[in-house]
Amino acid sequence: MSTLIVIDQPPYGTWAGREALDMAFSLAAFDQPVALLFTGAGVNWLRKLQETSEVEQKSVEKNLSAAPIFGVEAMYADAAACVRYRLTLEDMVAGVVMSESSSDLLNQYKHTAFAG
Amino acid sequence: MAAIQLQNYTLVITGAPYSSQAPQTALSFARSAIAAGHTLDRVFLYGDGVHLASAFSAPPSDETSWPAEWAIFLKDNDIPGVACVASALRRGLVNESEQKRYELPASNLLEPFVIAGLGEWVEGTMASSRVIYFHAGG
Repeated sequence: MSTLIVIDQPPYGTWAGREALDMAFSLAAFDQPVALLFTGAGVNWLRKLQETSEVEQKSVEKNLSAAPIFGVEAMYADAAACVRYRLTLEDMVAGVVMSESSSDLLNQYKHTAFAG
Repeated sequence: MAAIQLQNYTLVITGAPYSSQAPQTALSFARSAIAAGHTLDRVFLYGDGVHLASAFSAPPSDETSWPAEWAIFLKDNDIPGVACVASALRRGLVNESEQKRYELPASNLLEPFVIAGLGEWVEGTMASSRVIYFHAGG
């Protein structure tokens, strides 16, 4: 059973994205195939060099860099959303794959879960 | 008439009562599903949804108590209700063992809800034919 966890909200404003990430790590811990799709404002999760001391939160970059180690199979960024937020692969953390068609991607997974 | 294909659902509630409609919508769905002959494998509370399992919720008497309504529904239908432990601890929802572990002044987990890890959600996704998410929206 393959699962795509979709994060469509920017980091730091709510806890939903962090908790969605925990869902992905949990599936991976149980050896269930899982990937992440960042879309809409959610692509801002992927920015390099996030400075979060002013908001007193841990940077999500560290969590994301742990994703492949925990067994998350892929991290996709919606290409149209990246254009909207002026993000290229160079601006993003390592290991991100551009998704030109998120609808095709959704079709490849049996199960989809959105961050609340 | 075509036979209805019966489903075994896992419901995931991530919206809190009194700040979102998610618990009510999920309860309406759950009641309709049972009435139509479907089964519920479990109900998993995640994120802000864990507030639904608080025994300390005390709405005015002319408003529905969604924690109480959900507790009655789960007991009547013998359906497990599970609150995610990480979400619960962050938001001040604890059972007696967590109260002792963190030396907190009280526990507030409403029966029959239990506290467990995300593994319960993973199991739900594997054991059930459909998983439905009830988010706060907005």
